[in-house]
Amino acid sequence: MQAQNLQLDGAIDAIRLRFGSHALTRAAELPPAQPWPSHTPIDAMTGIGGLPRGRLSLLTGSGTCGKLSLALALLAHATHEFAHATVIDGGGFDPWNLLPFSPELSALTVVRAPAPEIAGEAAAALARAGAGFILLMSELPEHWLGPLESGANRSGTVVVGVVDAPGRALAHASSFSLALSRTEWVWERGQLIGIRVMARCLKNRVAPPLGETALEIRYPLGARPLSDHLVHVIEARVDVQEVAPCASAVV
Amino acid sequence: MRVCCGLTRHLELARRPDLYGTPVIVGRWDEHVVAASEETLRFGVETGMALRQAEHLCPQATFVLPDEEATARIRELVSAALYDLAPTVEVRDEGIAWLDISGVATAGQSIRAARHRLLKAIGREPRLGLAPGPFSARLAAARARPGRLMRVADAREFLAPLPSRELPLDAEQLERLDLLGLRTLGAVATIGPRELESQLGRDGRHAALLARGLEPDQLVPWQPPLFTCAHRQFADPVEDREALLFVARALCGDLAEELGLRGAGAKHVRVRLLFESSDEEARESVVRHALSSTAELFGLIGSWIKEWQPHAPITELWIELPVLEAAGRRQLRLWAGGDGTSEEVIAAMERIQERFGDAVVHKPKPAFVSSPIPSERFA
Repeated sequence: MQAQNLQLDGAIDAIRLRFGSHALTRAAELPPAQPWPSHTPIDAMTGIGGLPRGRLSLLTGSGTCGKLSLALALLAHATHEFAHATVIDGGGFDPWNLLPFSPELSALTVVRAPAPEIAGEAAAALARAGAGFILLMSELPEHWLGPLESGANRSGTVVVGVVDAPGRALAHASSFSLALSRTEWVWERGQLIGIRVMARCLKNRVAPPLGETALEIRYPLGARPLSDHLVHVIEARVDVQEVAPCASAVV
Repeated sequence: MRVCCGLTRHLELARRPDLYGTPVIVGRWDEHVVAASEETLRFGVETGMALRQAEHLCPQATFVLPDEEATARIRELVSAALYDLAPTVEVRDEGIAWLDISGVATAGQSIRAARHRLLKAIGREPRLGLAPGPFSARLAAARARPGRLMRVADAREFLAPLPSRELPLDAEQLERLDLLGLRTLGAVATIGPRELESQLGRDGRHAALLARGLEPDQLVPWQPPLFTCAHRQFADPVEDREALLFVARALCGDLAEELGLRGAGAKHVRVRLLFESSDEEARESVVRHALSSTAELFGLIGSWIKEWQPHAPITELWIELPVLEAAGRRQLRLWAGGDGTSEEVIAAMERIQERFGDAVVHKPKPAFVSSPIPSERFA
């Protein structure tokens, strides 16, 4: 183990020598991202007590796995906390689906982007201007990810993306990536009320990566006061696998 | 009405900060003294006396020719620097700056900021006075120590013991007041405006009202200029779009700095590209939300340049802001933290609408939420 560490240190020194000291930074040495507490179990998984401000977070998973319900809960919460919560919609977002989460609609703006280019430009412009929360409902062109990242980083915007499977560019641009996979449906008195999912942290650039946990996501059955909407996402069984202090590096 | 007066050096003297601490007299030969530094006062030099007489009294002084244009530039600079501290600001060449701070929530902060900005602009600590009107505020400031504030609650009570020569009257009128035995403002105040008008004409009525602390004069509010522009001429004609964007960003930065200094925002933006063949292409737009920061300006202009297809190499780039708005809202932005970000987000949304159509940005408002038809649920 000690020999491996020595080899790793040697490799890091070689990269720094060749490409400069800023080419490679230990994750533990990065400036800590400021958290935005979403009051969902995701906060515990990011390792900093909330979604990272100024970074891109991804909720991924194929099929029905609760990623959109989770994103809508985050969006509804954001409409109460920020002056501007924005959805960059590539098609398919209906504000009606948000109503059961009791959003503050005056703070919500939907950007309907028929083309990915428009979505990219709108997301980058709003992040640069300082919108509090941006929910991306589709992939963005690769060349807009850089402006989005830098704009959000400067203004502290919380950017959350919801995609089935992120492309290489989007996955690379994200700082926190959570993969959701459905384990079972939750039935009560013959009625479908939610799903149980396994949430696994695929990538974490803001803290040492934590393992996985099981979540129970209950489908909202009607409009409820704000104090209730948080119960839609419940951590059913915490099974966080502690990982040794990060020896990996971010290039 | 609460007026704060900052009293500093005559702006003609502020042109030559290198002569601070030495006797300086500003004026043209065969004319009157326009301004004289404090160091000349003990020799008996006064503003308005003949320059020859001043030279006799203080021959060791440095004599400087007045420069009205340079003074006007300093006055604009000082006015712009104070503009975001109070709704009404007036600056005079005599080195008097008035701020009407009635209704300002953080009047104390405004006065402190005014002191710092006057110090930075003129290079000398201003004397400050706070009174119900411009006349009493100026007299209070004249009696304050440099960098200190004298507050006046009751103007009439404060003015009563002051000499009547403080009134804005000519030498002959002041002599008449002296002959009438009216040697203090309190004595002048006992005379009715009509009586003094019969002795001194209209100026007499005005003087009586001033002496009573009734403050008949109103401030003349400074307004920011309505046009500004920035341009860059290229030594070699430019074809590279990246280079053009780089220059445009720098020009936007310069304009944003100027707008910030004036406390203004741009409602109308025009970009002109001049070509080698001396013809030009222009693009302009009227924006609903005034632009003032580099990000806001470059957000619009950068998007134009990115899609511009100039037909020849460019020799000159002009960015013009023909309509600036008096930035009442921008002043508020300084007082209430966080408003600026909200404004910038709204501006960004308007730019997106301008580029891709109004329907792109949508703020959902519930209409018939229970309708089975999705399109009817939100307006």
